[in-house]
Amino acid sequence: MVKIYIDDREYDVPAGMNLVDAAKWHADNDIPVFCYHPKMEPVGMCRMCLVQQGAIEKDRATGEVVLDEHGQPKVRWMPKLQTACTQRVTDGMVIRTNTAEVDQARQNVIEFLLTSHPLDCPICDKGGECPLQNLTMEHGPGMSRMQFQDKQHLDKHVPLGDLIYLDEERCIQCARCVRFQDELVGDDVLAFHERGRRLQIITNSNPGFDTYFSGNTTDICPVGALTTADFRFGARPWELTEVPSIDPFDAAGSNISLSIRLDRDFGGKAMIKRVMPRQNESVNEIWISDKARFGHHFTRSENRAQSPMIRNANGQLMQTTWEEALKSVASILKAAGKDVAAIAGSQMSNEDLWALREVMSAVGSTRLGAWPITHAGADLVAQVGVGVGSNLGDLGKGDAVLIIASDLEEEVPIWRLRLKLAKERGVFLAVANARHTRMEDFATACLRYDYGMAAHFLSNLRAENPDLAQQLAQANNLIILTGAEGLSLDGSRALMQAAANFLIETGHVGKPNNGLLSTFPGPNGMGQYYMGFTPENTQDIMINPPKVLIVAQADLYHDDPSASQWVHEVETVINLTLFADETLSHEAHTILPIQSFAERDGTFTNGERRVQRFYTAQGPIADALPAWQVLSRLGEKLGRGKAKLSAATVMADIAKNVPAFAGVTYKEISNVKRQFPDVGGRDLYYGGTAYQNRGGLGVQLKTTAESGEAINTAPVELVNAPRSQAGQMLIVPTTVLYNRERTFLPSALMHPRVMMPYAEINSADAAKLGIKSGDVVEIVADTMRVRVKAHVNGGAPEGSIVLPRHLTTEAVPMTMTLGRVSKVD
Amino acid sequence: MNQLQQKYQDRITHTLSKYPDKRSAVMPLLYIAQEEYGWVSPEGIDQVAEICDMDATQVKSIAGFYTMYSEKPKGKYWLQVCTDLPCALRGADQFHEDLKAYLEVEEGGTTADGMFTVEHVMCLAACDKAPMLQCNFHFAENLDMDKMKVLIEQWRNEVNQQVNGSR
Ligand code: SF4
Ligand code: FES
Repeated sequence: MVKIYIDDREYDVPAGMNLVDAAKWHADNDIPVFCYHPKMEPVGMCRMCLVQQGAIEKDRATGEVVLDEHGQPKVRWMPKLQTACTQRVTDGMVIRTNTAEVDQARQNVIEFLLTSHPLDCPICDKGGECPLQNLTMEHGPGMSRMQFQDKQHLDKHVPLGDLIYLDEERCIQCARCVRFQDELVGDDVLAFHERGRRLQIITNSNPGFDTYFSGNTTDICPVGALTTADFRFGARPWELTEVPSIDPFDAAGSNISLSIRLDRDFGGKAMIKRVMPRQNESVNEIWISDKARFGHHFTRSENRAQSPMIRNANGQLMQTTWEEALKSVASILKAAGKDVAAIAGSQMSNEDLWALREVMSAVGSTRLGAWPITHAGADLVAQVGVGVGSNLGDLGKGDAVLIIASDLEEEVPIWRLRLKLAKERGVFLAVANARHTRMEDFATACLRYDYGMAAHFLSNLRAENPDLAQQLAQANNLIILTGAEGLSLDGSRALMQAAANFLIETGHVGKPNNGLLSTFPGPNGMGQYYMGFTPENTQDIMINPPKVLIVAQADLYHDDPSASQWVHEVETVINLTLFADETLSHEAHTILPIQSFAERDGTFTNGERRVQRFYTAQGPIADALPAWQVLSRLGEKLGRGKAKLSAATVMADIAKNVPAFAGVTYKEISNVKRQFPDVGGRDLYYGGTAYQNRGGLGVQLKTTAESGEAINTAPVELVNAPRSQAGQMLIVPTTVLYNRERTFLPSALMHPRVMMPYAEINSADAAKLGIKSGDVVEIVADTMRVRVKAHVNGGAPEGSIVLPRHLTTEAVPMTMTLGRVSKVD
Repeated sequence: MNQLQQKYQDRITHTLSKYPDKRSAVMPLLYIAQEEYGWVSPEGIDQVAEICDMDATQVKSIAGFYTMYSEKPKGKYWLQVCTDLPCALRGADQFHEDLKAYLEVEEGGTTADGMFTVEHVMCLAACDKAPMLQCNFHFAENLDMDKMKVLIEQWRNEVNQQVNGSR
């Protein structure tokens, strides 16, 4: 700590802190800034932060403070004003922010910035939450000495790619957007072009502004120069109400804010106008991926299921009331005896899953399946997952992370962003996979193994890669982050066990920033596990289909090419679904329309086991109800006691019955505390328009390792991976962020960014098969037959075909399998 | 290997060898691209980006910052006449006007046959030899229109010979 003086008051602040940050955090003094951003290195480009700066004079010989004639410490002032953003605090620093000279300087900078600004605030998306507007009101001269006709006119509608628009006239050339892309993301696809007043932002990547994080530049842009294609001219910020929510797409559980307004485009109901980041420094800081930001349109898809439907004697689905539907389902379940199973998707909330489990208990069945069945080992995350208080942002020198069998940028983009930054802070970042992935561009070490051999690789790490093993073992903190690329479900379990064993043996469990993480698909993969739903159960359900199957928010036919076969053996399918046109509807006996995350409240448990709350934002769709409510009413009909009236009371039940959730309440999940940096307050100019967290920072569940129980290693059951042979190649399903899943496809503005169906083929294989890039190939495996374009490149290892899931309309296998590839003429 | 690498293999290899990393070679390589296409064309930018292993955005940014890269198509001969005060005092501005009239082009324009682009520029540091111009970065000094006509004829012939020679 050092002593500094701001406007004649004394403050203790940590040595070396940025002066703007220190003044704000410790002295509640908002030094105005444009180019400075607390998440980026200062550049001193805009001059808005000028302050008078001096230092308390000390006698060189004695080191004693020199006093003036009044006995006060003497201050040696710098001859000119200094930019506060480029200063770090030192002991005895004296700052004045309230002198006439400083006022004048601020006024002059504003006047200068406005010389060519179009002042089109009345039609600007940023108007109302604009740093330039706010600072002009506060420090601006009020009158301009410039002639309006002399303004430089530039292009006002420049699309930077498909998602972001640039208004060149509004740009004040602070380079925040350029620096964000370059320093933070590592996709340097924005730059300045030309000079002086004509200086503009450009992108020349293909496609334009090619990154998964572009939306964040619109938050930190201090003017309305960058706006999103999604929100452009959609509403005025002051008409919007912010509702805290959670990104429904991946295991990071990014905190988001849904900006809603009663809208005539949605029948006068509350409608999501845009999705903004909500600060949670341990989860997503103030950033979100473009998928989280622009992927909300599925909630208002015209295919949303409207009312309960029951199939009549003629095999037609007929609309009915909730009461009738639930009565019918209850009698079907009672008649089935115990021969009932349930499969639940990972977008179901903890409360939904618990209510479903209650229904299953009522009929006496324990067949609870999790969907999809790609990642195993959630139980190991519950045992040795990253400890309570983990924060990827705290990792630094001396720490290590191993990413294995994952294409992290495509699976959990926010983790990729935060780990890229961790690497730059000195973390030893090792990336192991059978092929090149984007994460390797940021890695310290890249390792290769053959597809299917991830668990073997990790089990033999000490013998075969002793240097790497030692690096990891000796790290102060170690996280192993697994995916499931190229693995069967058993293979995934083996990998998780191998990872858990390594962590246990090297003492990297049961403490913050140590342990296991996995890229479970969807926002609630861990919730599925805690509520008793496992992919192993699903596998068993697929092999021995029950008489009655409850399918809840799981897109079986789009995810699994074999679904048509095994679902057919089920006598009665009861489908809780968002969408009316799921292929499953043809099989379903009863369709129960449920609400998406946007229309009701609930909680998700993210990959770090953080239970986080989302709130009711958007108006309801027809008769759809929250799944927990539907299931709780069904439970009542099956004798499980009175139906619950709120998600919070379901959580109370969970807390009573699921040991890991003991003591968890909505109140606790909703707790907030002040976070550094202090963004989203009145002074939007400091951190941008990311929102302050008012919905809760969540509660991280303890791992078994932390609750004092001894954790032992268990043998890794290595499975033999299939090998390519005699014309058969390995078909490796992979994840791509932008795809044609039911929950993403309705976001039409993303369509140009969704790749046409393709498969990557190694050039040697392609030569053998006579395939060239761009050829249409047919891939046949077990129950799958798809046609895609071939991309011949070095991406796929020899003998394997990398086939992204959810790009084709037909399902692609969930896990690696053998198949044949041929060119289609 | 892209088009530029094929055609200018030796020069590109030599250029790259002068710098510790590829990125540093971006400016000399942009000159090669400009030479090849007559301007820094999009295909030139993409190829330089590929050679230097940079995003094309960064290459375009550099081309946009420096005025000696032209981001618009230019004639084979790019005539830049200095019209700053000392040159103007020696009649450079009139010379500039006469040259445009003779070639029938507007300021910054290119002749219909794609041979000549005329534009005025700031000081080229040859005030004592004004009127002067820079043609494809080579100086021609102490000019008047008579000398200019001869030069223009000479350049036209050069191109004709090249065309005939390659037949
Ligand atoms: S577009 Fe916005 S963030 Fe980017 S330089 Fe201009 S004002 Fe700054
Ligand atoms: S110069 Fe300090 S904020 Fe821009």
